[in-house]
Amino acid sequence: MADKSIDPVTLEVIWNRLLSVANEQQDTLMRTAFSTIVRESQDLACGVFDTRGRMIAQSISGTPGHINAMATSMRHFLAAYPPEKLAPGDVLLTNDPWMTAGQINDITVATPIFKEGRLVALFANTCHAADIGGRILSAEAREGYEEGLRLPIMKLFDGGKPNEILLQIVRANVRLPDEVVGDLYAQTACNDAGGRALLEMMKEFGLESIDPVAEEIIGRSETAVRDKIRELPDGEWLSETWSDGFEEPIVIRCRVRVEEDEVSIDFAGSSPQSARGINVVLNYTHAYASFAVKAAIYPDVPHNEGSFRPVRVTAPPGSILNALEPAPVASRQAVGHFVPSAIFAALAGALPGRLMAPGADPIWLSVWRGQNPPFTMTIFQVGGTGARPAKDGLSAVGFPSGVAGVPAEVIESLSSLVMRRRELRPDSGGAGAWRGGLGQLTEFANRAPGRWSVSCIVDRTRYSAPGLLGGKPGMAGEVFLEDGLRPNPKAQLELGADQIVHLNPPGGGGYGDPFERDPELVRQDVVAGYVTPEGAQRDYGVAIRFSGTKDELVRLPHQWTIDKETTASLRRRGE
Amino acid sequence: MYRVGIDIGGTFTDLLLIAEDGRAVIGKTLTTPGDPSLAVETALRPALGEGSTRLAASERGSTKLTTGGTLVHGTTLVTNAIIERKGAPTALLTTEGFRDALEIGREHRYELYDLNLDFPKPLVPRYLRFDVPERMAADGSELKPLDETFVRRLVAELRDKGIAAIAVCYLNSFRNPAHERRAAEIIAEVAPQIRVSLSSEVVAEIREYQRASTTVANVYVQERVANYLAELRRRLERLSFNGSFFVMLSSGGIATAQTAAKFPVRLLESGPAAGALAAAHLGARAGFPDLLSFDMGGTTAKLCAVEGGRPLKTHDFEVDRIYRFRRGSGLPVKIPVIDMIEIGAGGGSIARVDALGLLKVGPESSGAEPGPACYARGGDDPTVTDADLVLGYLDPNYFLGGKMKLDVEAARRALARLAKPLGFSIEQVAWGIHRIVNENMANAARAHLGERGKDPRRMPLYAFGGAGPVHAYRIAEILHLPALLSPVCAGVGSTFGLLAAPLAFDFVRSAYSRLDSLDWSAANALLDEMAREGRGVLESSGLSPAEISYERTADMRYVGQGHEVSVPLPEGALKDGDVAKIGATFEEVYRALYGRKGPDVPLEVVNWRVVASGPRPRMDFHLPSGDGSRDNPLKGKRRAYFPECGGYVEAPVYDRYALAPGATLSGPAIVEERESTLIIGGRGRARVDEHLNVIMEFADGR
Repeated sequence: MADKSIDPVTLEVIWNRLLSVANEQQDTLMRTAFSTIVRESQDLACGVFDTRGRMIAQSISGTPGHINAMATSMRHFLAAYPPEKLAPGDVLLTNDPWMTAGQINDITVATPIFKEGRLVALFANTCHAADIGGRILSAEAREGYEEGLRLPIMKLFDGGKPNEILLQIVRANVRLPDEVVGDLYAQTACNDAGGRALLEMMKEFGLESIDPVAEEIIGRSETAVRDKIRELPDGEWLSETWSDGFEEPIVIRCRVRVEEDEVSIDFAGSSPQSARGINVVLNYTHAYASFAVKAAIYPDVPHNEGSFRPVRVTAPPGSILNALEPAPVASRQAVGHFVPSAIFAALAGALPGRLMAPGADPIWLSVWRGQNPPFTMTIFQVGGTGARPAKDGLSAVGFPSGVAGVPAEVIESLSSLVMRRRELRPDSGGAGAWRGGLGQLTEFANRAPGRWSVSCIVDRTRYSAPGLLGGKPGMAGEVFLEDGLRPNPKAQLELGADQIVHLNPPGGGGYGDPFERDPELVRQDVVAGYVTPEGAQRDYGVAIRFSGTKDELVRLPHQWTIDKETTASLRRRGE
Repeated sequence: MYRVGIDIGGTFTDLLLIAEDGRAVIGKTLTTPGDPSLAVETALRPALGEGSTRLAASERGSTKLTTGGTLVHGTTLVTNAIIERKGAPTALLTTEGFRDALEIGREHRYELYDLNLDFPKPLVPRYLRFDVPERMAADGSELKPLDETFVRRLVAELRDKGIAAIAVCYLNSFRNPAHERRAAEIIAEVAPQIRVSLSSEVVAEIREYQRASTTVANVYVQERVANYLAELRRRLERLSFNGSFFVMLSSGGIATAQTAAKFPVRLLESGPAAGALAAAHLGARAGFPDLLSFDMGGTTAKLCAVEGGRPLKTHDFEVDRIYRFRRGSGLPVKIPVIDMIEIGAGGGSIARVDALGLLKVGPESSGAEPGPACYARGGDDPTVTDADLVLGYLDPNYFLGGKMKLDVEAARRALARLAKPLGFSIEQVAWGIHRIVNENMANAARAHLGERGKDPRRMPLYAFGGAGPVHAYRIAEILHLPALLSPVCAGVGSTFGLLAAPLAFDFVRSAYSRLDSLDWSAANALLDEMAREGRGVLESSGLSPAEISYERTADMRYVGQGHEVSVPLPEGALKDGDVAKIGATFEEVYRALYGRKGPDVPLEVVNWRVVASGPRPRMDFHLPSGDGSRDNPLKGKRRAYFPECGGYVEAPVYDRYALAPGATLSGPAIVEERESTLIIGGRGRARVDEHLNVIMEFADGR
């Protein structure tokens, strides 16, 4: 088979098999993982690589930051351990932010797979460890060294034997040794599962090597991507996006250039790297930039080395999107998650009717600690996504990150936290012909005695998600305490026993002029309570009246009517 | 006593009656979606006529069905009511601050790159979801009492505004259901006509979103199911049927109509569940207690692993998946359900060439209308059926027993559109489509079995459904399966399962605890409580205590892990002394699933489960046709594609109904029956067993 070109049916068959191998790998990981983050939130990525370290298939879920950054990490693994230095039973790992996913909690485990003593492929996966020592995951560090235990590329297993010294060091440095080491085992088992499935497939198809298949996959993907890019008009577009930053705001300046069959994205003019841990390594910037380009231009082309190639991503060294060592980077997602929105904002003009308005963007991450009994709990939350050209945005759905939330009952069964509220936040979706997705209102208390703390890494509390093409911005996020104190949302908060913490993730931006929104859709939003009657009047110029009594608890759709006259005059005034 | 199974599918209502003497009567009629019970009557009337004649003969002149019989019924009613949003106007009462749990869901995009994705609409709109002041903690202690005055006022308003159903799902109620129960009492006082489902009764399991979603689905369809079952009962009475009437559950057990009406969400997928049960039962009867059940129809294929004569079960299900069968794109329902994977691969699956120049098949389907190009009903997309026809596997003049002519030229024209971009001949396109859809199904099977720690090489394939036997040989080949079994009368396959199912009901209670510090008296109390409830349900269904057996399991994991494995528990009251035994069983199950022992971490129990079951019914029957008395089974020859024989060859075509027990066949060969066609590949050697199954066994390492 290697000597002649592979026919499209056989290639499809083998390729599908590789994808199912990657999914088997992911499934094993999710079911054997320990940390809540991996199993409830799917903060992970899995992939298959050829002998040159080129990614040829990835699993179905996971987060874009991990997937693409993991793809880059393989080059570093192979530089440190070229094939001749690897043997069956070896397993490599690293969490070096500059080599993988830009955060010290993200551990990548890579396993070479051998067939009759010859390296035939590598499997890798990246997972967010429940803890990595140092400061609790936060943006507070001034240098990377404070952020935890950094593991250079080294062997986790050597010829099948666990690296006991490494495991002892890890155990001694992390707050949750069982979970962290348990996950390293899960990550190893997951690559093993993938490797077994691959070898079986090679046997069945009589393949001695998957490199020719890889070549085809990469080549066809690259061609397909270039074809799609060529359909776009050539040109150069700019955008500017603001983030809260830590002490001062951060600007992301994005220049997208389409030239024939290539896209180049440059972040020159963005803020310099920060003194706090919100810096992004170029790997991670690249990961989210190529995710955004794929979602915008070629969502159907599978993700692999080939589909990365026509996209160039650059940022000046020492800038916030290409931070240099030893910058603190633990909370890189707080800035990195803006990258897709920045690219969409630039490309919106070139791709009319295809891109959505900016949304909440960075995921809201909070790490909670308490005593009696002690616990450390990481929680992800999300706001609303931006409105789309012919659809409202999604409420309480993450974008660009693909992680999932944690149920209140799971939070409460694993800690003494009490989640007092988790509901959609009325009027938080940016008004528009299409409304932005809603953010949330959430509240946390602790029922155990003693002090507790939370370290939040949240954004869009100062700069809300802007609207697109006349759409209005979504409501900004909020972090405050019951007693009214509004701390720096990225600082670590020490809390007294009776304190209540409010975390209200932001809404997404609207799309198009809100006065163009069908008044009936506005009425339906009022019926559901997504928009208040006041909001409907103020933001949409639609007057909605409730025909029932003030104290009625059950308010049915027919009790809400549009006051057509007032609406007409409101909307006229708006012109 | 005779027994009848009736399965209402999307297109056909199937019936199987087994009389006292073991004679089987088969019936098939078109489903009547407006009033499904009508089709039941239509199918049942003639069958009962036939059955009663035999009864009359065997039971001393009795002409009426007064001796009673048993009728078991499977239906897609609940699935349809949810997908079409045809349930009752339903309200949801939740803990203050959590009315949006149903809509916020998992905060997760099930597909990373599609900017236009959507989520299914919740069954209860936001204006009917209400915050109720009350709160329980995770340990079951009360943080805030239930505001009864508020509940009273709210329920009165709901009643006055015509709400017919209320779901109650409070946080941590799986640990302490007191507030939910009190709310139910108040509702019963204020508005006795409103139907109520409590999350602690429907599914006492942790995770508020999934629990609320399940509870809402249950009460949402309750009225519809109750009315339907009552209507069916009336029709049966008009037919002088006065025997016992049972309904198939998604778990593979059966329940009385009364129980079914209380927990209708457990009827989801009861048709496919019956199909898997039939595979399990008929497979075991043929000597294959472990197998892979494979049902391929017009739009989807369903696969299910069977072990020891029983289909595997799971407790996670999604209904109304709106995005290519993708996990996460449907409404979660936590019910005991036969563990099946459904993929978009069927006769109607459409083939296309994608942007990369590769051939793709499905999941888009041409459905029944317009259908594959060869149906000549206006469809011109190339489909799997078109490919199968061009490959010679289907006879254009004997599709559905000749009821429908297939247009070979239309199929060729459709395939020709793909030939050019691929640089293939029409025949190569056809083989490509056949191969890829087989690979898609084999991949799904491999993943499904892998996730459950099963080795495909030990699982014979049990193929049924219209397209199943056409594709089974190649799937068995791809997966290196040891054998292939194709039953006769696969067209009414599910009804066999209805009659093979025992009375059974599943119970669950969530209660997190480490194994080494478990409060055994509390655990025993939970297990006993569930067993008591089970005994109550089954005794009221007519079983005596001695006939009831209990299967007790614990969902366990390493402390901190996210997924549990099901561990069988020892008999009798549990005590500290059982810890080592339970731990060892866990290790065994874990190793079987993941291939290695887990890390050195303590174990915890998450859920306790009890399944109470009655005895498995006896299944002695013989089918009416296929006794081998017909003429020569060889119908003729047909040109069909068998690559291992060099391409298109003249393959013998056999009449399935004329094959007698003991007959043997060598591939390449085609065996036709009315609703399906079995393809025997070039290296296949088949025999017909005493039950008229066609069985192929493959030597290892083919």
